[in-house]
Amino acid sequence: MAAVQGGLADTNEEKDIKTEPSSDGFGNNNANDGRVLSTSPGSSASDQQTLLAVLQFLRKNKLTESVEILRREAGLPEDSPELKGSDSSGAGSGGAAGSGDKEGGDASSLLSRTSSVTAAGEDQPDVNVVLSAYNQQGDPPLYQVYYSGLKKFIESVLDCHRAELSQLFYPLFVHMYLELVYNNHESEAKAFFEKFSGDQECYYEDDLRVLSSLSKREHMRGNETLMDFRTSKFVLRISRDSYQLLKRHLQERQNNQIWNIIQEHLYIDIFDGMPRSKGQIDAMSGSLAGEGKREANKAKVYYGLLKEPEIELPLDDEDEEAENEEGKPKKKKPKKDSMGSKSKKQDPNAPSQTRIPLPELKDSDKLDKIMYMKEATKRIRLGPDNLPSICFYSFLNAYQGLTAVDFTDDSSLIAGGFADSTVRVWSVTPKKLRKVKSAADLNLIDKESDDVLERIMDEKTASESKILYGHSGPVYGISFSPDRNYLLSSSEDGTVRLWSLQTFTCLVGYKGHNYPVWDTHFSPHGYYFVSGGHDRVARLWATDHYQPLRMFSGHLADVTCTRFHPNSNYVATGSSDRTIRLWDVLNGNCVRIFTGHKGPIHALAFSPNGKFLASGATDGRVLLWDIGHGLMIGELKGHTDTIYSLRFSRDGEILASGSMDNTVRLWDAMKAFDDLETDDFTAATGHVHLQDNSQELLLGTYMSKSTPVIHLHFTRRNLLLATGAYNP
Amino acid sequence: MSAPKTIPKDAQVMIQILKDMGITEYEPRVINQMLEFTYRYVTTIIEDAKIYATHAKKSSVDADDIKLAIQCRMDQSFTSPPPRDFLLEVARQKNQTPLPLIKPYTGPRLPPDRYCLTAPNYRLKSIQKKVTSSAGRITVPRLNVGSVSSRPGTPTLGTPSVQSVTSKAGTPVSLTGQRFTVQIPPPSQTVTTKTITPSTPAVSNVLINPSLIGSKNILITTNMVSQNSGGAGDSLKRKHEDDDDYDAL
Repeated sequence: MAAVQGGLADTNEEKDIKTEPSSDGFGNNNANDGRVLSTSPGSSASDQQTLLAVLQFLRKNKLTESVEILRREAGLPEDSPELKGSDSSGAGSGGAAGSGDKEGGDASSLLSRTSSVTAAGEDQPDVNVVLSAYNQQGDPPLYQVYYSGLKKFIESVLDCHRAELSQLFYPLFVHMYLELVYNNHESEAKAFFEKFSGDQECYYEDDLRVLSSLSKREHMRGNETLMDFRTSKFVLRISRDSYQLLKRHLQERQNNQIWNIIQEHLYIDIFDGMPRSKGQIDAMSGSLAGEGKREANKAKVYYGLLKEPEIELPLDDEDEEAENEEGKPKKKKPKKDSMGSKSKKQDPNAPSQTRIPLPELKDSDKLDKIMYMKEATKRIRLGPDNLPSICFYSFLNAYQGLTAVDFTDDSSLIAGGFADSTVRVWSVTPKKLRKVKSAADLNLIDKESDDVLERIMDEKTASESKILYGHSGPVYGISFSPDRNYLLSSSEDGTVRLWSLQTFTCLVGYKGHNYPVWDTHFSPHGYYFVSGGHDRVARLWATDHYQPLRMFSGHLADVTCTRFHPNSNYVATGSSDRTIRLWDVLNGNCVRIFTGHKGPIHALAFSPNGKFLASGATDGRVLLWDIGHGLMIGELKGHTDTIYSLRFSRDGEILASGSMDNTVRLWDAMKAFDDLETDDFTAATGHVHLQDNSQELLLGTYMSKSTPVIHLHFTRRNLLLATGAYNP
Repeated sequence: MSAPKTIPKDAQVMIQILKDMGITEYEPRVINQMLEFTYRYVTTIIEDAKIYATHAKKSSVDADDIKLAIQCRMDQSFTSPPPRDFLLEVARQKNQTPLPLIKPYTGPRLPPDRYCLTAPNYRLKSIQKKVTSSAGRITVPRLNVGSVSSRPGTPTLGTPSVQSVTSKAGTPVSLTGQRFTVQIPPPSQTVTTKTITPSTPAVSNVLINPSLIGSKNILITTNMVSQNSGGAGDSLKRKHEDDDDYDAL
């Protein structure tokens, strides 16, 4: 046993193994547990675990004799027994369970819950897991002392360091509180909470309220977000000087419990340079996982647009001449957008055409593109002195059941998703909605006639609107396909349904999320779509596969908003954990993490040139991000309530935002992005110097009559359409 | 009963809970809904606990029973999404496979039919075969109709009794219209000729070319579903064996 004791002590010189006064007498020092266990099954289960962990440790270090001795004395069988039975709540009584035991507990509950996932034969708890279970971090009543001590220290440092070190308060507070709750020290946890919760930043208020409702360990079990919070590392960015100060202070003290917690739960991203100011820190913090690590935002992102395909224009058209070079249509009128790129060289920032497989263009798609180009020539050029007109579509008598809206790209159809699980499609133009005739009728028509495509449509049932039934829960996300043949809807029942707009029937139900799906979006090239829901993952699907092709997992809380990049190679997801992540479709990696919002994100919009992303959340701010560098470049304050919709104008000059405060605001996007072309942009340290120029960028505020704005859409000619449900 | 001036105690507690959780704006019905849920949940738990207690031959319900009851219910109704490490693992596996190539020119890109919702969701009832038509008699072929009666005006068919129909040459093709409705007039009515158009749901007489009838059974479909075999024209030609495929429900 001496070898065991020595081994333990060697590897864990920093871990203070204290005996828990309220423990059940076995103490935390498992080296003494050589005697045969003869206690009640409840506590022996945890001791069995620890013994097995020790056994494993010895085996790893090839101390075979000690292994034999331990096994003999502890009476352990040859094969390790199944530990799945040891329920975490049973083992959690008293002192043995510690901060790390959660992983053991989680593993056992994971195994019992998802039997299909074989934990790779690892039915013995990992040594580190169990050993860190003894990392009790000291007495519960002392937690308050530790925290106050840290508080005093931080208040005494220099101003420039104080702001940075204050970032520590929130994660430390939450982790210490959770530890107390997890180890069943309810009263101490409550006292701790009451004393220190008022000190935290105001933007963490919602989280604190959730925490205050948790006072027992069982409460934590169902809360996946909190479990993820415990297991993931909270990232803090601190300058080297401040970090040295902190380290020196904590290590010189006798009881460096806080240091242990920091090491275990926090990831400190150290940078060289000036410490950041409070304003800078406040801009970037607020998410549930801290900030993004700098290396997380260093991957190369191909944010350029794909080259437009060559299209032959009809020669008898007066407005256009036929293309004679690839990608370079010659026009009599000057083209306003870069529909065909003027340069023949490949944009270095654009992905190659074959990076991800995309469907080829059919004839109808080519016709669409020609229409698009024609409309583009008639587009109004917007600017600060030439604001768009706004046409507002109000849904009357929706009784607050309107949950999602989408427009087709050519603005001919509106679809609305409702809380009564219906999807309704309206025609915006005078042209009515027609569905294809039945098979019997189709036999009757003359298939050789020129207008056969008109004849297959049934005139008798043409109507202004069609209702689609099929979901069994409120419909939270809607998206039209770019070729106007399909409509997607995602609902609380966990499915995403594909509807045909030719027959107005449901074609496929994609099942994968078993929990409400909050948003779905078709790719700009059709064929792929992305959906995100309560299970904290976003999935990429193709219409002809009944299972997802990619799973984007990494968020700590529900994925509330999903959008494709204009080149279909990247997907942005906004989540309730207040971060935005950009994922690569090719390999499913997260290439960017953007933090800074203080509330769940409900709106995302890519700029038409693909370089920038705008996001809106419940905190009423619109944040602008540069995708290439991975930095926040602007903040637009003005809205007073959740922002539910964002849209860039067709050429990217104006950003429109619609919110629950019944207004639509227009912002000058050109100006906001102009400042970037200068070089002051310090991408190396990732510091943001945000100017407070929201007022200058705000071009107009337009109120609606008590109608929250749910969706915005710029027509091809830059007319702004807005929709909402009238809510008197 | 006069309206209560004070809210019952449970409701007051519920209001306090909502306030503590930071919910400030809600419709008044929310309190009732929350109370209903609470009552139902607690009752279910206590009933389950009672069952467990009697199973363990205990005389009274104690805390362990309640704990067990709560746990079982949690796993059943209040499941939570999978934990993060599981998701990461599954995602890693899924993301390793390369994106499948897209076949060109395949029409609507949908999953295999098994996974789509495009199959018909009905079956046809088999009919009783009793059609006799003697060779010479044109005027009274018997038609059996396989569905329940309803009055004219709806697209379903008339009574299953035998009726007479007249024939008019040259329009068998009109019978292939969808929404084919047949009104079987009562035997006393003289048959009149009216043409039917494929899409009128209105009632009209059927003109059937007697030469098509033969001795086969005739199934006149009554469903509105378009994919169904059009009208009587096709069905006249269809053999009875087809009908056997669709068992009566």
